[in-house]
Amino acid sequence: MKIEGEHVFNGSREDVWAMVRDPEVLATMLPGTTNLNQLSENEYEGAINLRVGPISGGFSGRIVVEDEVPPEHCKLVAEGEGRPGFFKGSGTVDLIEVDAGTLMKYEGEIQIGGKLASIGQRLIDMTSKTMIRQGMKVLDAALEERKANVMD
Amino acid sequence: MAKLIGKRITRNEDPRLLTGQALFVDDVELPGMLHAAFLRSEYAHAKLKGVDVSAALERPGVIAAFTAEDMGDAWSPGPPLVIPPPTIEDVEFYTRTQVPLVKDKIRHAGEPLAIVIAESRYIAEDALDDIVVDLEPLDVVADIERALDPDSPLVHDDLESNLAAHLVQEKGDYAAAREQADKVIRRRIVIERGIAGAMENRGIVASWDNKQQQLTVWDTTQSPIPIRNGLASMFGLSEHQVRVIAPFVGGGFGPKIMMFYPEEVLLTWSTLRMGKPIKWIEDRRENFYATTQERGQVHDVELALTNDGRILGLSDDFLHDTGAYDPYGLTIPLNTQCHALGPYDIPSYSSDLKVIFTNMTLTTPVRGAGRPQGVFVIERMLDIAAKELGIDRAEIRKRNYLPKDVFPYDNLIIDQAFSSFVIDSGDYLPAMEKALEMIEYEKFTQEEQPKLREEGRRVGIGVVSFIETTGVGPYEGARVTIESSGKVSTATGVGTQGQGHFTVFAQIVAEQLGVDVRDVHLVTGDTAQFHWGTGTFASRGAVVAANAVNAAASIVRGKVLELASELLETPEEELELEDGVVRVADIPTKSMSLGELAQRANPLRGAVEPGTEPGLEATAYFGPKYGATAFGTHAMIVEVDLETMMVEIKRYIVVEDCGTVLNPLIVDGQLHGGVALGIGNSFYEKLVFDENGQLLNASFADYLIPTAAEIPRIEIAHQVTPSPLNPLGSKGVGEAGAIPVPALFAQAVENALGVDGLEILESPLSPQRLFELLHGEETEA
Repeated sequence: MKIEGEHVFNGSREDVWAMVRDPEVLATMLPGTTNLNQLSENEYEGAINLRVGPISGGFSGRIVVEDEVPPEHCKLVAEGEGRPGFFKGSGTVDLIEVDAGTLMKYEGEIQIGGKLASIGQRLIDMTSKTMIRQGMKVLDAALEERKANVMD
Repeated sequence: MAKLIGKRITRNEDPRLLTGQALFVDDVELPGMLHAAFLRSEYAHAKLKGVDVSAALERPGVIAAFTAEDMGDAWSPGPPLVIPPPTIEDVEFYTRTQVPLVKDKIRHAGEPLAIVIAESRYIAEDALDDIVVDLEPLDVVADIERALDPDSPLVHDDLESNLAAHLVQEKGDYAAAREQADKVIRRRIVIERGIAGAMENRGIVASWDNKQQQLTVWDTTQSPIPIRNGLASMFGLSEHQVRVIAPFVGGGFGPKIMMFYPEEVLLTWSTLRMGKPIKWIEDRRENFYATTQERGQVHDVELALTNDGRILGLSDDFLHDTGAYDPYGLTIPLNTQCHALGPYDIPSYSSDLKVIFTNMTLTTPVRGAGRPQGVFVIERMLDIAAKELGIDRAEIRKRNYLPKDVFPYDNLIIDQAFSSFVIDSGDYLPAMEKALEMIEYEKFTQEEQPKLREEGRRVGIGVVSFIETTGVGPYEGARVTIESSGKVSTATGVGTQGQGHFTVFAQIVAEQLGVDVRDVHLVTGDTAQFHWGTGTFASRGAVVAANAVNAAASIVRGKVLELASELLETPEEELELEDGVVRVADIPTKSMSLGELAQRANPLRGAVEPGTEPGLEATAYFGPKYGATAFGTHAMIVEVDLETMMVEIKRYIVVEDCGTVLNPLIVDGQLHGGVALGIGNSFYEKLVFDENGQLLNASFADYLIPTAAEIPRIEIAHQVTPSPLNPLGSKGVGEAGAIPVPALFAQAVENALGVDGLEILESPLSPQRLFELLHGEETEA
């Protein structure tokens, strides 16, 4: 499955970068995340509960951040497995300064297997888009909070 | 003899089936019965490093959990079901058979890694989550066209490549025919995988009775006797200690002839080890990846013709996807090779078959078994030839039919039974003429179609011919017994999955013995009742088993006449069997009932002649010299909606010749079901695998089986060209309906679209795919 999209944040590139590299923020970004631990500077492991149509269950997995060029680019490599199946993928995130703030462009490819793929297939695309949309909302709020804290 | 064969008799089995009085495997409930669930690999290809079931064993209600390691010496890859043909020269074949539980390498998603046995299925399923699997995913072979690349991953590491078999069959000199030809047409044809989709999934109950030292296995198999023999040999039991019962089964369609499935071995092994009965009923998702599938071929075809449309030669290089293992040998692709010749006179033929291992579920016969692919190849090539040579589609077929006086006709290649592919009988032209007449071909193409086209409606017509090899050996048997009540019991070894055996076999017996069809009680699929035979497959019940039933009934008839002649003091020729009695033809009051005769044939006291057999009973066998070849022509009219790309079937015609029609009601029912499956294969049903061997549509929400709403009224005509190979003159018809449909559907839709250069060279289609074909692949729907 291909994932591709963009989102404009109302804030500076540095703030957005700092936010997405903050495990505490990331842990709140995806609904269903039960924990997220930073193993090393660029490696996280965590667990998430997912529901895709009739399929639900917990996944555990890890994410590695590679090719990091703060505050503009990084590559994410993720893999995980759980009762509903498994996934493996990688993608890039780019932050570009624009008039309105910071444009985040993301794209990636995820391979999905198991029950999630064989029964949930036609719902995965929709579910992933919804999750990303919700995640961006969380990040928007987190960014506002971060800016407010800085101003305090 | 009162004529019952050929009568439209309603089914003996239906009252039981329709009122819930028929036993299916899941109805079997035994005291203390445990329930099994299987942990299956979600990965299509992986190195298995370990399976830890310790946590599962701690769950309350779990009785046992086993891995391959636990099986010790009992672990062994399954014996091949069909051995590769020794009769074909230079055949390369690498036998690699399925394993009961994966030991070191996972080769397709769905392979079982562990079995959990618990007090209930719920507990067993929950316990699957407790099992920890350590594996290392490997690159996947999911594309048969790339599987032979030198850098492809290997499904079986001990082989040099993913080639499972290579076989070339040749007839005449194709190269020379190609030289002589006015026209040579070359195309690539791709046929995708589908499932059988029986209403009832697989199921097994295995029970070991330690005091009786008796193993009983209820199994949804199409082949109970070979399962009995195999289990006995696998587990060191006498065949008499093993009883396999295939009760009523909700649809076979081929995958249930496969043996041994890992579950059949594991349930038996577990019950022998634990001494408790165990049940496993397959769920629908398991059925999608653990039960065998079919189709899956890529053909590079060439047809050489004269300008007037006479075929000079056919060449077909094709790949056949066998999945991760090849226990079923070459049955499917050999059928494809044979059926690509169709009912036509093809003087030269070159067919180069490569069978490919992939990391996907195994393929074994599904209703049609390689035949639809062969028919698709030749029929599509003839359609293209007709177009390019400016000849009518029906006409080009007529010009190439084998004439009726050439039979038996030897095609000079080997068929799936490893004998020469001889067509026993045929008369193709009248079947085509009849189909054209029924669908009003002339009127539609000359008047209606041009008029509707002017109105902007995309209507099209199709007409295809096909042959179908049926009723192959080796043999089946039957035992017919007149009981002291006067009713007749008949036992045969073939299992039943809805074909109407209880009626058709009863008709044969009833006609021989002059009894009511309802008074013939049939037992099938129970090795304790009859234990010689092979199974229900290859459209052979109405040929091989029916003729065995006929032979046994005929012997019993002889015994009845002999005894009655003695007791009634009347010569046999003057006796008749009617209404359950034997009577003297001219003196109806001088008679004896069959029940009384049965009692007299089995006296409790007194002396009999030495050598006398008791009772009115006989067992007989029938094995044909080779298979009987049925044939027919199907025609259809379709309309394509250009906005939705849905195809509406306006009319559907079947002209079928299956030799003697034993029961037209049942034959029509078989044809209806076959056509419905064929329509699914043509437009709705496609298994979608991704490049990692993951099946992306493993539910009936995503994998579409046509419903009654998608199936048109089917108009049927029968032509009767009896097979000279068996006394009843019958040929099989179980698969016939399905075989020509994809080719017909493609032709009719192509004709309806009527776009220059648009050729349909694949199956199945779908609305999306038709849209892409019409508007170009890059266009977003």
